[in-house]
Amino acid sequence: MSYYFVIVGTEDNPLFEYEFGTSKAGGDGQARFPEQARHMNQFIVHSSLDIVEEVQWGTGQMYLKCVDRFYNNYVSCFLTGGNVKFMLLHQPPSSSVSSTSNPRSSTSTIATNPMSPQTEEAVRAFMLEIYESWVKTIMNPFYRVNMEVRSPIFRQRVAAAGRKYL
Amino acid sequence: MPVQVYSLYIFDRHTECIYSKQWVQPATPASSTLPSTVTDQHRQTNGTELAATAAEQLPPKPRRNKGADDAKLIFGTVFSLRNMVRKLGGDDDAFISFRTAQYKLHYYETPTNLRFALLTEPGALSMRNVLHQIYINLWVEYVVKNPLSPVEHKGGEGVRNEMFELGLDKFIRGLM
Amino acid sequence: MSASKAARVGEEIWKGRVDKVNAELVVLTYGTIVAQLCKDFDSDYVQVNKQLDKMGYNIGLRLIEDYLAKSNTMRRCSNFRETADMLAKVGFKIFLNITPTVTNWTSDNKQFSLVFEENPLADFVELPDDGRAQDELWYSNIFCGVLRGALEMVQMQVEAHFISDVLRGNDTTEMRVSLIRYIDDELPPEDD
Repeated sequence: MSYYFVIVGTEDNPLFEYEFGTSKAGGDGQARFPEQARHMNQFIVHSSLDIVEEVQWGTGQMYLKCVDRFYNNYVSCFLTGGNVKFMLLHQPPSSSVSSTSNPRSSTSTIATNPMSPQTEEAVRAFMLEIYESWVKTIMNPFYRVNMEVRSPIFRQRVAAAGRKYL
Repeated sequence: MPVQVYSLYIFDRHTECIYSKQWVQPATPASSTLPSTVTDQHRQTNGTELAATAAEQLPPKPRRNKGADDAKLIFGTVFSLRNMVRKLGGDDDAFISFRTAQYKLHYYETPTNLRFALLTEPGALSMRNVLHQIYINLWVEYVVKNPLSPVEHKGGEGVRNEMFELGLDKFIRGLM
Repeated sequence: MSASKAARVGEEIWKGRVDKVNAELVVLTYGTIVAQLCKDFDSDYVQVNKQLDKMGYNIGLRLIEDYLAKSNTMRRCSNFRETADMLAKVGFKIFLNITPTVTNWTSDNKQFSLVFEENPLADFVELPDDGRAQDELWYSNIFCGVLRGALEMVQMQVEAHFISDVLRGNDTTEMRVSLIRYIDDELPPEDD
């Protein structure tokens, strides 16, 4: 599975982007978006924001689970109290890719099935861990609201959370 | 044991008197022929009102500056005494009080060179602790910690605030 | 007072006689001040350092009285080494609940370092990545001013500056403190 993680500010502006791949089931943590479709990730996530705004008031939860789907792309969302959105796009490998790079992938639902309850829980844990790092990052006095996050430490933490849960 | 407190003077590290207050007038003795002491001598050369007996020997002074003059005299005295004490007894020795027939002067100095001089009736016990309390509970709390009060109290600026004055008055009256 | 006794005194005061305040409030308040200074001085970090030092100096002038009141100090330290121990083990302890290490004395006993293993002002902080802050800004420079102001009030003229900071990527946070002179008591003006 390939992941595209983006943090969206209160004015629908991107604050942070990170691409990675699954580390479960022997995955190497590399994102494998098809080159010709990679630029679509931003568009897909951006279009999901409308749906997020619809469902965000319905549940009272911060973790909204999988909110949108576009062909083989699934979008999960986590909202902070300050209405910053953590968006995660997951793209399961098309069958040919998975069979060559990940022969055992069928045994792990997290690595392949974006709609399974296990995946939902893994994403929740991933989001919560990032939320914790996020709060610490925006506590930095030099950070201003809706400013792009360039902290290398935060990037490392996101990468670590990705390796740990996805 | 109640004690009569006559007055309090506070001097800053620049030797300026930044606060003074009088509660009770020292009692003028019925007889003016008390046995002479060392401090009596001192009174004759420097004192004004504290030594009513010596008043007639002094040239008349303008009354309006009396308070300021007293403060200067007191500072001069305690400063000299303190220096003398240190010279004789070492740097850690401290001058605590001196007594005359009519009053007792208690002295307390902080490491920041803030100096307190308290005048009481001659029979009073040590007031060192009282002065220490005034410093930590009133001075530090209401003058130093008041962010609007200046750091340097030129002309007493910042010292005469309500909390400090009320607290001090209450504390001193509690002793009497 | 010996160093170990100073540590006990500091611990005791911290436990019994100090009002505590939320650490994050302190971090955010101080952080906001530094960030605002950086903005006001247009990221002229040399100026920001100077301002922080000045603010610290004004704090120190007052804080020393609170220190003396809380610690019930009645006498002066007998030498600069004792001063350093009291600073680290009582002063920093009662106001910030940290005890920086006193080390690297010069042979004339007039210069030492305070090494901060922890720094409650710097939690969450990452210096701006403009390529200069890392080399020019001393984020916790207010400490230098506080020491300078506080020691001046007890008749010691000192100079203090940071020589390393973990925020800059150094291994330690270290401040150098040098005694310049003891200040004489002021004399009353000559009577006219």
